[in-house]
Amino acid sequence: METEQRKTALIDFLRTIQRPDCPLQEIDGDLSLVESGLIDSLALLQIITYLEQTYGIDFREKGIDPGELRSVNAILEFIGREAAA
Amino acid sequence: MKITALLDLYRKVAQFHENEALIVRLQRCKVVVWLTPQRRQIILCVGAVCAAVAGTMSRHAPWRDYRFPSTWLVPAVALPILLALIYLLYLTAARFRHLPAWVRARPQVCFHFFFWALLLWLWLNPASSLFSVAVMTLVAGSLPYLIWRCGYMLLCGQRGKAAATKFADHFFYIFPMWDGTNTPPGKGHDNLSRAAAQTPAAYSRSILAGIKLLLLVALWKGTMQVIGALVYGDPKSSLTGLLGGHSLGIPRLRSVLSGSVAPSLAVVWLSLYLELIWECLFIAAKGHVWIGILRLFGFNVFRNTYKPLLAESVVDFWSRYYYYFKELMVEFFFLPTYLRYFRDRPVLRIVAAVFAAAFFGNMYYHLLQAKHPLIEADFERLWWLLGPRLIYCFLLAAGIAVSMLRQQRQRGRAAPPRGGFYRLGRIASVWTFFAVINFWNVLAPISIPERGRLFLSLFGLR
Repeated sequence: METEQRKTALIDFLRTIQRPDCPLQEIDGDLSLVESGLIDSLALLQIITYLEQTYGIDFREKGIDPGELRSVNAILEFIGREAAA
Repeated sequence: MKITALLDLYRKVAQFHENEALIVRLQRCKVVVWLTPQRRQIILCVGAVCAAVAGTMSRHAPWRDYRFPSTWLVPAVALPILLALIYLLYLTAARFRHLPAWVRARPQVCFHFFFWALLLWLWLNPASSLFSVAVMTLVAGSLPYLIWRCGYMLLCGQRGKAAATKFADHFFYIFPMWDGTNTPPGKGHDNLSRAAAQTPAAYSRSILAGIKLLLLVALWKGTMQVIGALVYGDPKSSLTGLLGGHSLGIPRLRSVLSGSVAPSLAVVWLSLYLELIWECLFIAAKGHVWIGILRLFGFNVFRNTYKPLLAESVVDFWSRYYYYFKELMVEFFFLPTYLRYFRDRPVLRIVAAVFAAAFFGNMYYHLLQAKHPLIEADFERLWWLLGPRLIYCFLLAAGIAVSMLRQQRQRGRAAPPRGGFYRLGRIASVWTFFAVINFWNVLAPISIPERGRLFLSLFGLR
């Protein structure tokens, strides 16, 4: 999947888990997802599940740094690194 | 109109740390320019050496003459051992990929196993007055403070980031000059390096944000003095004398539990809620000092406490009340469980991870915190300290699990229009939940069955 496709798919997914009381119309690539109020820290779990299911990423050995999932661009970078590994 | 102007003025004053003119002025200051990230790290590392010496000496104080009559020789030997251990752990993190597979799979468990092996050795030498036992007692007594900080360093290695770091990048948060509890405020290198200001402008923002927190410390401490005098009639409050001993006379929760007072049911409930407010102020004042100092050194990290009394859900309160403790539980217990177990059963996956963090992790953290009875193998005292906490942690975990599952179901749906009363109701229910479970968290000299009977009496059951 190309980066743009990944980005579109990720943003579509984020829209399904965004906080109902804080919907954002535009999601900027560097926007901090939690700080902006778009998602709460609990939604990080759903992002992890999304990455496991969509990209087959296995976090069991390396664990996960929540900071790596802080923004759309950070998540895309993470996916890119895992795909290349 | 006047109210609007006043509100604007309040916002301006309260948000002074975001005032662009102030930031520009500050970033031109010679000190701010001179204090580059590298220079700040040198200061922090020198501070860490002082903190290591002072911390080891102060941790030795309660053990002085315990097992070995010495005032300075024991810490003088224990400190190099601790430093060597930390350096060894740094090398472990930096060369993580070269470690045996069984260590790579569970590095934290291996480290904790070392601590428990040391404890076991101390338990097997109970009456010994050997010098080595005295030294190892101090090493074991220092580890609960260092274990989570070193844990973050190992996490950094596990994530493949420690190889590019120096020992100094970790040393300053392992023996932090801003002190703190066993919980590392600001977490470890991964979080601190992301938050570190790299330019004078970013550093200026960080300094102002730190000053704001330190001002809030004064405000919260002042509020505690007022509550102490006005509500509790606390003789320790400097305002009690000014009020001539007049106060509302509400007892502290520990007085209610110990039976030294026998208030009405309404006053007991009032005491429960006030205890929650008091603890929020107390933890906010403490946490703001740690984070305030971190920000003064250019690490613009999240606050430890952020308006917990406005939380509208249990999980939100837990996150706002003591953020870095929650993060510790999440990173060391929640995520490892969530990532490893029940991957195809979403509800069970969350419940198991929540119980791993809020119940098991929380209990384990407090077990390590009770270092004196733990090292002395005083299991009776450990049970006295931690027995009621088992119920507290169980109720907390159950509440968080229910709250998380409810939020998960609601996520993504459009929010129905809700008025102010609805919000107030949610906030009140969160207050009630935490005020009630706190009943099991406050230390008091009563047995668990007695506490249980008192707990039931809160609801008119006896």
